[in-house]
Amino acid sequence: MNKFLSEKYALPDKNAAKSDKLTNGLRNLLKSPLAQTIVFVIIMAVIGQLAVEKVLPYSWASAFATTFSYAIAAVGFCLLMGYSGLASLGTGGFIGIGTYSVYYVMAESGLPFLLAVLVAIIIAIVIGAIVGFISLRIEGIYLVILTLGLSEILRNLYMVLEDKISFTKNPVILGFTITRQFSLYIVLIFLAIVMIVTSNIINSPTGRAMLAMKNSTAAAQAMGISLMKYRLLAFIICTVYASLSGTMLMLVVRNAMASQGTGFYALITSLNILAAVIIGGYKSIWGAVFGSFVMYGLQTVVLNNIKFLAENPVIITFVSGILVIIVVMFYPGGLAQLVLELRAKAKGLRTKMREAKYGKDLG
Amino acid sequence: MARILDKLIPSTAQRAIKLRQSHDWIKTELAELSGVYEEKKQKALDKFVVKANRRLSSAAYAACDKTELANNVMEKRLQEYDVHKYLSYRAANHKAAKAIFKAIKAGEDWSGALDAMRSEIDKIKSDRLAFVNKLEARKNASIAKGGSSDPTAYNALRTQLEAEYDSLSRSIDEKHAQIIEKKRKALKQKLDEVSLRIQENRAKGGNAICLSDDVLLSVKGLKMYFGGLKAVDDLTFDVKKGEIFGLIGPNGAGKTTVFNCITRFYDATGGDMYFENKYGEIVDLRNYKVHDIILQGISRTFQNIELVKEVSVMENLLVAGTRAYRSGLLVHALGLPLLKKEEKIMRQKAMRILRFMGLESYASWLAFGLPYGILKKVEIARALMADARLIIMDEPAAGLNDSETAELTETIRKIRDEFGVTILLVEHDMSLVMNVCDTVCAISFGQMLAIGTTEEIQKNKAVQEAYLGVKEDE
Repeated sequence: MNKFLSEKYALPDKNAAKSDKLTNGLRNLLKSPLAQTIVFVIIMAVIGQLAVEKVLPYSWASAFATTFSYAIAAVGFCLLMGYSGLASLGTGGFIGIGTYSVYYVMAESGLPFLLAVLVAIIIAIVIGAIVGFISLRIEGIYLVILTLGLSEILRNLYMVLEDKISFTKNPVILGFTITRQFSLYIVLIFLAIVMIVTSNIINSPTGRAMLAMKNSTAAAQAMGISLMKYRLLAFIICTVYASLSGTMLMLVVRNAMASQGTGFYALITSLNILAAVIIGGYKSIWGAVFGSFVMYGLQTVVLNNIKFLAENPVIITFVSGILVIIVVMFYPGGLAQLVLELRAKAKGLRTKMREAKYGKDLG
Repeated sequence: MARILDKLIPSTAQRAIKLRQSHDWIKTELAELSGVYEEKKQKALDKFVVKANRRLSSAAYAACDKTELANNVMEKRLQEYDVHKYLSYRAANHKAAKAIFKAIKAGEDWSGALDAMRSEIDKIKSDRLAFVNKLEARKNASIAKGGSSDPTAYNALRTQLEAEYDSLSRSIDEKHAQIIEKKRKALKQKLDEVSLRIQENRAKGGNAICLSDDVLLSVKGLKMYFGGLKAVDDLTFDVKKGEIFGLIGPNGAGKTTVFNCITRFYDATGGDMYFENKYGEIVDLRNYKVHDIILQGISRTFQNIELVKEVSVMENLLVAGTRAYRSGLLVHALGLPLLKKEEKIMRQKAMRILRFMGLESYASWLAFGLPYGILKKVEIARALMADARLIIMDEPAAGLNDSETAELTETIRKIRDEFGVTILLVEHDMSLVMNVCDTVCAISFGQMLAIGTTEEIQKNKAVQEAYLGVKEDE
């Protein structure tokens, strides 16, 4: 029997094995997406709090809140583009669904904020289902154009409804009054939920079915995957996330103007989310979050602090465009791919150093 | 409107689908029950071994020959040291060579560089001597400290642990046998209930079509026109249960079109296709959509590999099981335990199939970058995953070399015998077709040339004409 320790390989040190087990256990725990997300949220909340207390620049808090609101939409877009192979330019219009629903529900019926968010989600599901049912029979560039047109229709609808909407008083969640400084935490909680749900979906049979569909529609159909069902599912999830992102933006920014060219519902938002997902990596949730940071937070947090760039703000407007070009040319998998490659390189370097130290054949 | 309503309100047909789904699931669960518990047992035993080793470690240290241990340790340390120092030795040489070369080029005296190198090497040597002395001292100290070896405690503990291991294994076996028996009974009862309900449903619906008992798939007068082009024209053949049926023909004869009609990728222009499905009913395949064909018990492989390249081989197999999962989107999104249980069973099943195909070691590999022959096998494994009654293979030997084709022949037979499936294949490789097929149907320009056993086909004049293009002399 060789399953038990032989006396030839005796290890006198008992504690080493124990501590090794502990660190391994911790490392394995940190590998689960749930734990990673929670750690991320806690770190961001601490940074936000420090910004509010002016240890860090005060502008960071609102920059983070906006970034993570958009990140919710970006995560949904990542699921749509990276996993089911569809592209849409309707994100801006769908963000408006959330904003207007939450505004009208709270103004007309006086429901609390969370219930208003729920209503916004339900409306997004309905609109996503109707739009998807009509439009998902076509793919590729035609779908992009269709959603683009739809987004513009929605935006015009918002302009007709009420051009400028704003919250007159602070919304209340479970008895807490949410001031603008506090809204970052609400955004972070929703982002965490969205990230965890998305990563669950990606690793479930549904996510695999979507990937199969993206790779080969013929094989997917032969394996019993209904194209319409999973496309519709991805589209609805994307719409719901965009709508949720809209409600969060309303919470953070407190007002919105439909006719403004740089508003939430404009084409620029759809393009920015697309760019965020491409920069971050269209198959990575973390990539989507980081990409939206590049699009919405980088200027406030990093670029404005560089003296040269602060003096020449024109250059800043080029940054995201240049990044998109670089990523598409050299890292089609986005910054997530870059991270993976760096990790592989670091591992190779470590192996090489070990070999230089101990030689190749010694285990 | 009626269709939309049909989707919203679960109709009797949908209830029937649900019933069948649960029927299939119970069957899968029954098949994988022992495997799941085997895995559980292995996990428990592994855990025990880790714990036992921890308990054993101090006794093992007491039992070992201290001199030998210390010698081993010292040897290993010295080896490591030498490998490490060899690099610096080489670096010193290299540096000196460079310096000397430079000096010669400049026409200067280079003995200084040589001396420097010698002194450096001397230093390395003396360092090593010092290290050896240090190790020697440490070794002696550890021998003195360790005392003599005493294997009695170790042996006693080890025999005790081994006995514990055996008894644990036995007790787990007993416990699991009971649980498995209980579960199996419950599952069988459930299965019977579900089958009964399926039977009842069927009795209500009635069975209008009749096929003779040994026929699995019957294609009658199949027509597929693309505009004016008659890709398949009035083709009739029967596939019997448990046979390997080959469809051959020159390029452009319409073989793949026939397949695509059967699997509903194309909507046939005319003709009927009847199939005896997994539940023993005879169905008209034209009533089903592409993605519902798999539920009736037909799965297929593709001529060009159509796997998901960015996930592992195991997950590729699980894709084929998508319809087997009973949990919905909500369970998937929240990651509830029900999904974990289902995943476990499905993974067990996928592993069993991979083992059968000899692909066990590739289970966790990405499909991207695997050799072509392996990917072809994965495709077949994926088709097996769906519990099909009829497997349709579109040119399984395309792109394989001779030895791989020979292996494929064996695999196809093995699949037929092991899984009790019928196989319908399109192939250009005549050696494979003639080796493996029971019945061969030759078609040309969408029309039947001949059908029969391999010998009959080989002797058939029309087939020879179609393939060779000339009439043979008498």
